[in-house]
Amino acid sequence: MQFLALLSAAITLIGAIMVITRRVAVHAVLWLVVTLLALAVVFALLGAPFAAALEVIIYAGAVMVLFVFVIMMLNLGRPDSDREKEWLRPRAWLGPALLATLLCGELLYTLPFRPDDTAAPDLLTARDVGLSLFGPYVLMVELASFLLLSGLVTSFHIGRHRLRER
Amino acid sequence: MIVHDLFLPSPLLALSAGTMVLLASIAWRRSAARSLSIGLITFLAALALTGRHVGSAPPGTVTLFIQDRWADYNGILIVLSSISILLMSWRDLARDPAHPADESALLLLTGTLGAVAMVFSANYIPFFLGLEILGISLLGLVASRRLRFPEGCEAAMKYLILSGLSSAILLFGAGLAYAVTGSLHFTLPVAAGSPGIQTAATIMILIGIFFKLSAVPFHLWLPDVMEGAPVPVAAFIAMVSKIAIFSSLVRFFGTGHLPFYMQSLMPAVIILTILGGNLQALQQTSFTRLLACSSIAHVGYLLIAVLSPGQLQSGVITIYLAAYTASTLGVFAIISAFGSPGHPDGTEIADWKGLFSTRPFLAVTLSLMLLSLAGIPPGIGFFAKFGIIATGVERQHDLLLAVLVTGSIIGLYYYLNIIRVMTGAATPLMVPPRTRQPELTVLVTVLTIIVIIGGLFPARLLRPLLPAPAMTPPYQDVMKASRSG
Repeated sequence: MQFLALLSAAITLIGAIMVITRRVAVHAVLWLVVTLLALAVVFALLGAPFAAALEVIIYAGAVMVLFVFVIMMLNLGRPDSDREKEWLRPRAWLGPALLATLLCGELLYTLPFRPDDTAAPDLLTARDVGLSLFGPYVLMVELASFLLLSGLVTSFHIGRHRLRER
Repeated sequence: MIVHDLFLPSPLLALSAGTMVLLASIAWRRSAARSLSIGLITFLAALALTGRHVGSAPPGTVTLFIQDRWADYNGILIVLSSISILLMSWRDLARDPAHPADESALLLLTGTLGAVAMVFSANYIPFFLGLEILGISLLGLVASRRLRFPEGCEAAMKYLILSGLSSAILLFGAGLAYAVTGSLHFTLPVAAGSPGIQTAATIMILIGIFFKLSAVPFHLWLPDVMEGAPVPVAAFIAMVSKIAIFSSLVRFFGTGHLPFYMQSLMPAVIILTILGGNLQALQQTSFTRLLACSSIAHVGYLLIAVLSPGQLQSGVITIYLAAYTASTLGVFAIISAFGSPGHPDGTEIADWKGLFSTRPFLAVTLSLMLLSLAGIPPGIGFFAKFGIIATGVERQHDLLLAVLVTGSIIGLYYYLNIIRVMTGAATPLMVPPRTRQPELTVLVTVLTIIVIIGGLFPARLLRPLLPAPAMTPPYQDVMKASRSG
């Protein structure tokens, strides 16, 4: 178990380093997806399946779609076919695909273990997360909503200026 | 339901309620004057509710927020600074249609909310959330000028990247601290065993805090960001965010003796901060950049008092914060009063030439504020600096005291240089037209009175307000308590 957790952590690290060293934004996004998936596996091995699912659904799913969408909007100049040819060379996707396969293999290997066989002390389920979020930490949820509000106002504020400048 | 177990200081409640009222008002109809009025009323309500709280903590658990005299004092300072900053920006926002008023008022409110949340936090989670609310609100405020949008955007970009980096380091440190102690209590991580991780956690949290506090060698962003920001926002960066992060620093370390490795680390940072800030200020031709460098130096002076536990420490930190706040706010208010649309806005030192003959009121008050910052009587800054030296003498920090004296002498040069520029002959072209701005006149007058009265009768301000010395944190977290119960 410990070895698997360390392996996933190493994949997270490799992925993160690759994200910040890629020059093409789409390639960086591919590596970022692998990084987030590896992080989800770490969460799952630590006994927090709900956090792992959230990581996959929200970060690797929704946030990444948003990233890809923004990158496509910003690169409107060139013909699509050229762009896709350059973006999707095997050299670009082979690394992330390999690591993702590795992670998948890890998950398949751990699947037969029952929760009480593992070293994880207790499983953090959706119920636990919900109880602490809307129990003692409810004020923090409210505070986080103010954080999102100020982020929203700020981005709207700066974005609107850009439109008028043009 | 657990609502009766929650504990929330009332100022936070007032600020968040005010934010929502302001949002509703903006949604109904946009009006600069009304948004600013709602902001002002909210700040006054938060001030009136200081010292009260909603709900009570169940005994035996660690709450997310703490309310003691130190938190109340810093909360008052932050809200008072925010009121002054609101008044400073009133003219630009309400009378100049080129400024987006509603967003600025809203971001000022949320920024203050974040700062107050940091001051009251006893746990890593509200501390970090407050820090981020403050940082992200500042981002919008920095880039809020339409006339100088590229400069504002550049400053905002620098702030975004460096603030993100420092937040990441701080969060890493907090994670390590949680790994060692199993508690999110906001204090020095102390646990049996694994001293290496404890040290690493403390140093990472400290680096994050120093970044935000802009202590040398993490200071490079401050002058650039303050120069690109509008004058009231520069004041917000120099006052509100620094008071909030400094109060958290004191809360984190407590007032007792620091651990051994800190005893060797802190003096190095202090020496670099005082000398770096002052030497950098010598070369500036921009007034806001100069104030940024001077605020770096003042952080260095304050850290000397943090490093010297003793009888004097608590009162001295209290009075120094008040002195720094009043004097720097005064300087920024005078810069705001000087500038007028379409004319030199007073951010260049050369603009101030001959002010003694053209606008004597501003020149005299500015001289007083600068003398107070330099630590010369009759300003309140004299007594504050005297107190800092007294704490240093009490703990016999000879080297730090020598650096402080050197720094003060360098500081004297650039503060007096501005007064020298103001006494020069005025060139008729540069005299800006007088505009009626009653709120700024009142603000400058009030701050001047505070600086003089505080300088003449400082004893009333000398109150021991610091939190009790740090003890070993209770190894019981809210999370654990709720899971078991």
